[in-house]
Amino acid sequence: MGRSQEKGQGPIYNMRLSTVGATRATETGAIHEPTGLDLAMKLHYLKAAYIYSPELASDLSVTHVKEAMFKLFDQIAWTTGRLWRRDSGRPYIKCNDCGARFVEGECNFTVEEWLSKPDRSVDEFLVYHQPVGPELPFSPLIYVQMTRFKCRGLALGLSWANIMGDSFSLFYAFNLWVKVLSGEKIYAPETSIIDRRFLNPNPTVKDPESIKQVDPVGDLWITPNNKKMASYCFNLTVAADQMSPHFPANGDDQIPVFEVLAGIIWKSIAKVREDPEPLTVTIIRKDPNDLKPIRSIRNSQMISSVHVDFPVAEAAVEELVRCMERATDERCGIDEIGESCDGSLDFIVYGAKLTFMDLSEVDLYEAKVMRKSPESVYCNVEGVGEEGLVVVYAAAKSEERVVTMTLPEEEMERVKSEFKKCGLMAP
Amino acid sequence: MPDFSSSVKLKYVKLGYQYLVNHFLSLLLIPIMAIIAVELLRMGPEDILNVWNSLHFDIVQVLCSSFLVIFISTVYFMSKPRTVYLVDYSCYKPPVTCRVPFATFMEHSRLILKDSPKSVEFQMRILERSGLGEETCLPPAIHYIPPTPTMDEARSEAQMVIFTAMDDLFKKTGLLPKDIDILIVNCSLFSPTPSLSAMVINKYKLRSNIKSFNLSGMGCSAGLISVDLARDLLQVHPNSNAVIVSTEIITPNYYKGNERAMLLPNCLFRMGSAAILMSNRRSDRWRAKYKLCHLVRTHRGADDKSFYCVYEQEDREGKIGINLSKDLMAIAGEALKANITTIGPLVLPASEQLLFLLSLIGRKIFNLKWKPYIPDFKLAFEHFCIHAGGRAVIDELQKNLQLSGEHVEASRMTLHRFGNTSSSSLWYELCYIESKGRMRRGDRVWQIAFGSGFKCNSAVWKCNRTIKTPKDGPWSDCIDRYPVFIPEVVKL
Repeated sequence: MGRSQEKGQGPIYNMRLSTVGATRATETGAIHEPTGLDLAMKLHYLKAAYIYSPELASDLSVTHVKEAMFKLFDQIAWTTGRLWRRDSGRPYIKCNDCGARFVEGECNFTVEEWLSKPDRSVDEFLVYHQPVGPELPFSPLIYVQMTRFKCRGLALGLSWANIMGDSFSLFYAFNLWVKVLSGEKIYAPETSIIDRRFLNPNPTVKDPESIKQVDPVGDLWITPNNKKMASYCFNLTVAADQMSPHFPANGDDQIPVFEVLAGIIWKSIAKVREDPEPLTVTIIRKDPNDLKPIRSIRNSQMISSVHVDFPVAEAAVEELVRCMERATDERCGIDEIGESCDGSLDFIVYGAKLTFMDLSEVDLYEAKVMRKSPESVYCNVEGVGEEGLVVVYAAAKSEERVVTMTLPEEEMERVKSEFKKCGLMAP
Repeated sequence: MPDFSSSVKLKYVKLGYQYLVNHFLSLLLIPIMAIIAVELLRMGPEDILNVWNSLHFDIVQVLCSSFLVIFISTVYFMSKPRTVYLVDYSCYKPPVTCRVPFATFMEHSRLILKDSPKSVEFQMRILERSGLGEETCLPPAIHYIPPTPTMDEARSEAQMVIFTAMDDLFKKTGLLPKDIDILIVNCSLFSPTPSLSAMVINKYKLRSNIKSFNLSGMGCSAGLISVDLARDLLQVHPNSNAVIVSTEIITPNYYKGNERAMLLPNCLFRMGSAAILMSNRRSDRWRAKYKLCHLVRTHRGADDKSFYCVYEQEDREGKIGINLSKDLMAIAGEALKANITTIGPLVLPASEQLLFLLSLIGRKIFNLKWKPYIPDFKLAFEHFCIHAGGRAVIDELQKNLQLSGEHVEASRMTLHRFGNTSSSSLWYELCYIESKGRMRRGDRVWQIAFGSGFKCNSAVWKCNRTIKTPKDGPWSDCIDRYPVFIPEVVKL
């Protein structure tokens, strides 16, 4: 459950729920069949929150936003459908135009006050979230929250069921929606089931490390964790002089910023989590073979696994970075597992092992309203397993990155103090 | 084979009979003219001149006769009721953002009525069999979970539907707001102060001596009641025009309880409105679309069962809704019969009236066991607009009047595309017929509306000029998809 639904708590009030869909009726009987990889990701939900300043957003009324959403869903009408199960138990999406849930809310802070809060995970309040279930045919796959700040600024939060598509698809859909708001015409081509397969040059990996089976959850798709998870989000500078102490630059070579950050964080978490140390991590990023710009809603993210044989806490960051570059793409194996169980078994990928997600290649600030970028963008995943997740993505300033961590609550404070020790976070 | 040939023979007998009786006077004229012609030919030119001279025309007789003729014709033209024309009309097309697919309606229902699963089940069964499509629209306030029917929202819906329809009407007819002489607004269930007609006058800055009326509480047949009122006023006021706005505001009337008989309107009523311009000016004769021939109103309120069959009341929890009784169809049938008894003699050709009379005489006077003869209204009208109150109403009327599928197509398709828009549904149906290019000069249209009370009102229009397929209007973007096949039960 996201934070913004806890009744009576939180800074968002006056919440009203309605539904937005497509303008045209989809033909009766249309369905969307999830792939094995889609089914493996079903317990996860992707979240994003975009904050726009009052100069851009004060004229944007609920009607404008909803109308633009309708035009967006005309292009991707299947995402407004609902999940049904076949006789075999395999879930599929019935394209019945049911719609995405639209939540309006108000906030007593101004955008400035909101952005001055040091822990950016307050943006979780800007994303309304409910899991799929307990009744599949009546659970929306997409929740959109529109929050109006005291200064007339606006926040748009999306909660997106991972069974439909990955983070890159979410950003693609959001960018299309922003284009509609600016008055442009949009067109999203339909993706056939063949296009949704990914190119995998590696041979099939048996027993992929990055996926873990969990206890059956039935029709309520929540990751069953024994520990309570917490999120923390902060900015950090990745200028060359900050990075080089950890990763001596080899002449003209570009510093692989994400890998270095991931390495540093992996070390810090390994120091906190002594027994057992996380020797295997999962790396999720955009598929480098995906040459086309993202023009479809699908799960195409590369999921790869890294295993080291040496203790991580004492290792050099350089070593870890080199190992990460040799990560094995496990998507085929995951797809096979998802396919073979026909949706009857439940798995997690985010948090099955300590997971690092790289969204830094996505230009989040391209989502311009009135030709101006958002003030801030927040990304996270709901339904993360106990091993934890670290998401790295671009900040408003090009030399900064934003890191959102979701870890067991009991580890969070110690991890933060480790970061302070190694200079990642200000003391 | 013998059945087929005998039915074909019967058909020709019927046709022959109809032609004979309906054109009786003209047929009689032929032998008379033949006799006169034969006589004239027999007499020869001098005899004809002699007969002419013997008539002794003198000036006084000529003058008196001509004065008599002029006097009689003046009295005739003065006492003839003014012809009332329907110049043009426009129907409101709701914005696509107000669309309510079945799945969305059911999901909202489950969330709002989460404590009454039986009521949700009931609504689902109604929706499956309702004959509505996936493109009907509800006002923005009803899209919220739970709906937020405040007075402000109701007014805002009223402004949206009424002003859009009126703007469209002004554009189509070139009418200036200050030229409106009579304004009639009918909306049954929303009656604020100041009235909706005052709201229209305020918005368009109409004249201070305008004759405005606001009809509320009169149900789905109020559209034709407004037409009747306009007609009567146009008899009294020469050289005037009248604007009628027919609508039903859904926002304040969404039933929030869980009593099954009262949930039905939630499933069927949808957003819609129509604005109509009527006139008695001779200058409008050339551009008017229709001429009003007859308007018959039948009220069955004197009968208790009819009076209580559509009743607004509070349920056990104090929530207000409209209770529809199970006898609704039977009462509608009776009201229709009463209406037909009045309208039949006005519109049916002589052949049908004669047959009906003979059947009546046979049954009542000679007590013969004949089935009551149902006159064939298809001979009197080319098009039928039956109020799209629900699938059951249209089925019942199709059966009672023995109409074919094509005759009731306009009603069924309007129900599918727009739902039950109450008093404005007749106008959407008329617009459907025009959009299909079926309306020709001289075609007669029968509009039948039912309403709470219980009332049955009919209007008969005659098409004044062949109407070109309209390029805009509520059907312009979807007319090519219609008619659609509407299954008996739509599986949700």
